[in-house]
Amino acid sequence: MASEDEEFTMLFQDFYPSLCRFLECLLGGRAPLAQDLAQESFLQLHRTAWGTMPVGEARFWLYRVARNMAINEFRKSHTRYRLFDRVVETMRPRARNPEQEYETQERKTLVLEMLQTLPEDQRTALLLREHEQLSYREIGQVLNVSESKVKVDIFRARASLRERWARVSHVNPVNHVNPV
Amino acid sequence: MNCSFTEKISSLIDGELSTAEAREVERHLIGCNECQEVRADFLNLRSQLAGFETSLEPAVQNRALKKILSTPRRTPARGFAWGFGTQAAAFATLVIVAAIIGFLIYRSSNTPTNEKHLAVQQTPTPVPAATVQQKQSEPEASPSPNKGDEQTAPRRSPSPAPKKPLVREPKPGEQFAAIPSTPDPVRSADAQTMTALHFEKSETLLVAFRNVRLNEPGTTAEVAYERKRAQQLVLQNMMLRREADAAGDVQVSSLLESLEPILIDISNLPDKPDKDAIRVIRQRVERKNIVPLLRVNSTALARALD
Repeated sequence: MASEDEEFTMLFQDFYPSLCRFLECLLGGRAPLAQDLAQESFLQLHRTAWGTMPVGEARFWLYRVARNMAINEFRKSHTRYRLFDRVVETMRPRARNPEQEYETQERKTLVLEMLQTLPEDQRTALLLREHEQLSYREIGQVLNVSESKVKVDIFRARASLRERWARVSHVNPVNHVNPV
Repeated sequence: MNCSFTEKISSLIDGELSTAEAREVERHLIGCNECQEVRADFLNLRSQLAGFETSLEPAVQNRALKKILSTPRRTPARGFAWGFGTQAAAFATLVIVAAIIGFLIYRSSNTPTNEKHLAVQQTPTPVPAATVQQKQSEPEASPSPNKGDEQTAPRRSPSPAPKKPLVREPKPGEQFAAIPSTPDPVRSADAQTMTALHFEKSETLLVAFRNVRLNEPGTTAEVAYERKRAQQLVLQNMMLRREADAAGDVQVSSLLESLEPILIDISNLPDKPDKDAIRVIRQRVERKNIVPLLRVNSTALARALD
């Protein structure tokens, strides 16, 4: 039992921040809720499934459970619609912000809010790819879809974000970011 | 994005293309400005997403870990309960199905057995029927067929058994009925076993006697052998008949009663028997149709013992 708890602690220390970031992006930047859901996901793993699967599988299991919890949150609070309104508000032209130190934060917020305009499956696939560096096959396992669907979803998510990003940059030059 | 390669650009930056495909896309990129822009924008998006940092404090993380570890685990109980429930349900279903199949097989296997009691066999010779009762008083006489039919009629009746046994020999070409099986007499298992064996031995003897070839040199020896067997069986037949009478087993008693004179006749054959004497006994055996009756009743007794 002790060794199982030690293994669990190691997994938690390594993976909890990643899961929080994944959920925060999925939920549009609501950090406290993301942390609660990440904790609840680990709690479920510890209570019901820990010890019944390899540690590598546990990572996928956590993504799957956390994603389902986030979807439930969407359904409960109609987050998508409220966030969509906020994105529109963000995209609206406004006066130049004099405080340059907030510029980075602004961009971060913009990225998060633009992510919320994507369909949930495209958003999740893109986040698992860009944040967690999962392969298409691994993403397919987490989402229980085919590899080819993952490929298409990620491409569509990128194409959609690129288009929106170009539009925002054209309207509001402060958000323009030069390609790396 | 009008170029057909743009979708492959996405896979290229994810490293999901094969070597050949990646080379092809990279060659295309050299000459396609649109794809170059797409590639640059996709990589820009990646840097924006990758630069996202979550605002997680270490104290919050440690608190969450402590809370999780302090919660009791319920994996075994829950998993076992579900697994056991499923297995138990599957096992119960199997048992029920097996019981139904077993019952059907048992029923189907019993049905023909019962029919054997009402055995179906054609009598080979056109001889009028005779009753056991009449045979005792007039062993060689042939009673009227009508009388025999009258005695057969009440054999399935629930009324008390008549005073005399009701074994009827079938008419020629008529299906004969074995001794009715109800009500069951109370007899010891040993007596039943002995009776069943006796019926078997008698059947064998009568079949062998029927098959003796009269015009061949070994006839005398064959008859002598069958005569010896008949002498042994006569005594046993008497003993079993008395036992069946005492136990009230009318069916067995009647059959033994009809068998006994035949066994006595065989036992009393001379050392060098006349062919006609043998022929007469054979005709009686055929007329009484005793061989199939012995076979049916020995089988019935054996099954009852099982």
